[in-house]
Amino acid sequence: MTVSRRDVLLTAAFAGLSLSGCSLLRNAVAENLGERVPGKLCRNWGKDIDPDFHLLSRAGFGGYPGDLERLKKIGRKAWLEEQLNPDSIDDKACDWRSRRFESLEIDPGTAYEFKREALRSDMVRHSLLKAVYSRRQLLEVMVEFWTDHFNISLEKGDCIYLKPTDDSKVVRAHALGKFSDLLLASARSPAMLVYLDGKDNKRRNLMEKPNENYARELLELHTMGVNGGYTQLDVLNVARALSGFRLHERHGRGQAYFDKSCHDDGEKLVLGKRIAPGGGEKDLKDVLDIVLAHPSTARYIAYKLTRHFVSDEPPPRLCALVAQTFTDTGGDIKAMLRTIFDAEQFYDPSLRGAKFKRPFRFVVSSLRSLAADTDASKELCQFLSRMGQAPFQYPTPDGYPVEREPWLGSLLWRWNFALTLCLGGVEGVNVKNSMERLEAALADGKVDAALIFPYFTGRKPRPEELSAFQEYSQEAHRRELFGLILASPAFQMY
Amino acid sequence: MKKSRRRFLQELALKPFQSGQEQEQAQGGANARANANAHTLVVVFLRGGADTLNMLVPYGDDDYYRFRPSLAIQPQAKAGKNGFLPLDSFFGLHPRLAPLLPIYKEGRLGFLPAVGSDNLSGSHFDAQDQMEHGVAWRSTASGGWLGRYLSLSGGHSLGPLAAVSLSPSLPESFRGAPAASALSGVEEISIKAEGAPHLTGVLQKLYKACPEPELREAGLNTLALLARISELRKAELAGPGESALFPATSFGRGLFQIARLVKAGVGLNVACLDLDGWDTHFVQGSAEGLQAGIIAELGQGLSAFDKCLGPLMKGVTVVVLTEFGRRVYENSSLGTDHGRGFTLMAMGGGIRGGQVHGQWPGLKEDLDELRLANLAPTGLAVKVDYRAPLLEILQGVMGAGAYGERIFPGFKPGGGTGLVQV
Repeated sequence: MTVSRRDVLLTAAFAGLSLSGCSLLRNAVAENLGERVPGKLCRNWGKDIDPDFHLLSRAGFGGYPGDLERLKKIGRKAWLEEQLNPDSIDDKACDWRSRRFESLEIDPGTAYEFKREALRSDMVRHSLLKAVYSRRQLLEVMVEFWTDHFNISLEKGDCIYLKPTDDSKVVRAHALGKFSDLLLASARSPAMLVYLDGKDNKRRNLMEKPNENYARELLELHTMGVNGGYTQLDVLNVARALSGFRLHERHGRGQAYFDKSCHDDGEKLVLGKRIAPGGGEKDLKDVLDIVLAHPSTARYIAYKLTRHFVSDEPPPRLCALVAQTFTDTGGDIKAMLRTIFDAEQFYDPSLRGAKFKRPFRFVVSSLRSLAADTDASKELCQFLSRMGQAPFQYPTPDGYPVEREPWLGSLLWRWNFALTLCLGGVEGVNVKNSMERLEAALADGKVDAALIFPYFTGRKPRPEELSAFQEYSQEAHRRELFGLILASPAFQMY
Repeated sequence: MKKSRRRFLQELALKPFQSGQEQEQAQGGANARANANAHTLVVVFLRGGADTLNMLVPYGDDDYYRFRPSLAIQPQAKAGKNGFLPLDSFFGLHPRLAPLLPIYKEGRLGFLPAVGSDNLSGSHFDAQDQMEHGVAWRSTASGGWLGRYLSLSGGHSLGPLAAVSLSPSLPESFRGAPAASALSGVEEISIKAEGAPHLTGVLQKLYKACPEPELREAGLNTLALLARISELRKAELAGPGESALFPATSFGRGLFQIARLVKAGVGLNVACLDLDGWDTHFVQGSAEGLQAGIIAELGQGLSAFDKCLGPLMKGVTVVVLTEFGRRVYENSSLGTDHGRGFTLMAMGGGIRGGQVHGQWPGLKEDLDELRLANLAPTGLAVKVDYRAPLLEILQGVMGAGAYGERIFPGFKPGGGTGLVQV
């Protein structure tokens, strides 16, 4: 007898629970374990991508079966407010899947006792499971966004031991909060202090040159943008102001502290603003305040967010509006997202389905739309590596590219992933049951591309698409048809 | 938009497929050869710290024999077929490297002794990591040297098979590469779906009709690539006879797969391959024994690769690295412990072969080891930074531009090593 992973998880979920409330929990768990395929799904599609489908694709990693129907029922506004307040969303079912990685919940000092390979695998599996199963989809999208923005490679120095804490205490904690809090947390994050050499930025006497690595990236990548208007002198002075942060090496290993003797306590001029001598550790806050108040920071963050959610070439007027929101709200991320999703341009039909999915999004959206049952197996994660986007493994501080070109070489692996997945060949991933349920809900059990294709792409197939699928719209090839839809150009876009 | 040379070649090579449409018309051999213009670098990493002193034998150095009473490779006069094969009046080849001797004599295989890094840790992991990242010891730069080379030289215009590692996962050196693939063989370059023969036909229709020009082009290019690979299998460019040349080991199979990819003209730019088992602390053997076995595997493999590719070797350069060499003296368990410098081997296009380059530093350093109580291992001294020959190959053979400092951050090359033709 084989016990499916789902059964094990279900059993685990109820072990030790009293009977009361048990059925509620059972539903909560089962819903996200592949059984959340309603009996009937939307069949009303136009030639343009459905606007609600579009919102699910951009504000999340694409819909799970039933998500679209629910969004249509409660309305976009209510759905967005839920997403902007992730704590209001019950996410127990996802937690059952993703809270199994002991190594990610311990303090960094203890993490040093784990093998690098185990930590890397736990990190990747955790972020994949969260993206696939969390109902807090906008939060997960923002986690991916900030993970790239404040990129840290696990492969540099001790980062692998410190990034789990950075992920939970910096990125996840502030992903929908204030940008200023996020920036401050990142500046003090031990993983960032290692990754950009902050911990080696010392200036004990006037002869010693500070390490400028973090100071430069702080201005160039994290806040103002490369053309933000800072000078080399600003970089130097920011580096001076941020000198003195160190990491404990023995007791409290991996924790940051401020060592006054390594700090340059003289007067600094940053972006024309004076930082008085003798500030010590407070210099960090002063620097960040100066940088945050600079209009380039509002502009750059607004540009990146608008590009991420709206278009690779974001409408300048919308960017300006989002930048204004940044300024008005002191960098409130939720407020900026509201500005974006409230904008008419967000739903512009010509911009729907015009962004190219990066491999992570491609894999996650495939698994979500198929309601796949998986524990993020090694084989599944290897597909991500092959496509070139294994989480937390991008070496340089600019994060995985957002442009489409670097990813166009990954098509072969995408096709093989799509086909292997649907033919049941990805070890540790089961989609067989849910594909049957989808077929029933979409096409009364018929193998009909005209009825199944729109569920994955948000629109009716064009005639040439339909004719391409014709050969596979038959009983013998039902699984291949799903695979081909996932491999098609339409599903590479969102 | 500026077009890179590789991009141009790739498009040129794929043209017959795009205009002709019918994949059956693929003209196998001729096209494949035409497309092999892009130079291919094959990086063989000997994992475990190879004792290269017993591979390129410094028979003219008395200290070699003094320190290795039982492990040294003896002259043929003394050991017959187990004697070294003299290359000149100072160096000889391990007898199991005999298959490489003709390549050396034809001037296509060269050696560079006393190569290494500044790593004093004596740790395999630390030293391999450093070398694959292409940095100085304890440097904090991240990403691999090949990853940086690939993104700087080709960036997003690289095809899906520009960077391939014949291994289960990507090596550290590829970290940051635009699109590197770890695969076990050409067979993997296929659409896997049994009983569904026309899948590529459906994809062809779908991508041809795709309104996004870049995605359409990428899809059609990938399909052309698949067609070329399946053509390769049909035409058996590297047929069973040739596969039989290679050792029946994962290293031999990997080399065979690289040769097939080169022949197929898929735009292979860099290939990585490991040969494990060099950590010979214990009963290492000399002309025969533990290490001689993998030395033979290396020699047979490289020689088969050279034969299999024939004239195409002009467009292929193989470099053989290890994380460090071993001590000069043999230890009490008739093995050798972790050392420092090693002899780098390079073969193929652009390599000035038929000679041993650089200067022999002698083996005296080991004499001082106990007296000085060094904290780090000794062995053959490191006179040439490992990045120097690699950069020369990238710039002199692979056509890398003047961005050497960005491939190897912080590295300032000195004079040339002589390894690469100028």
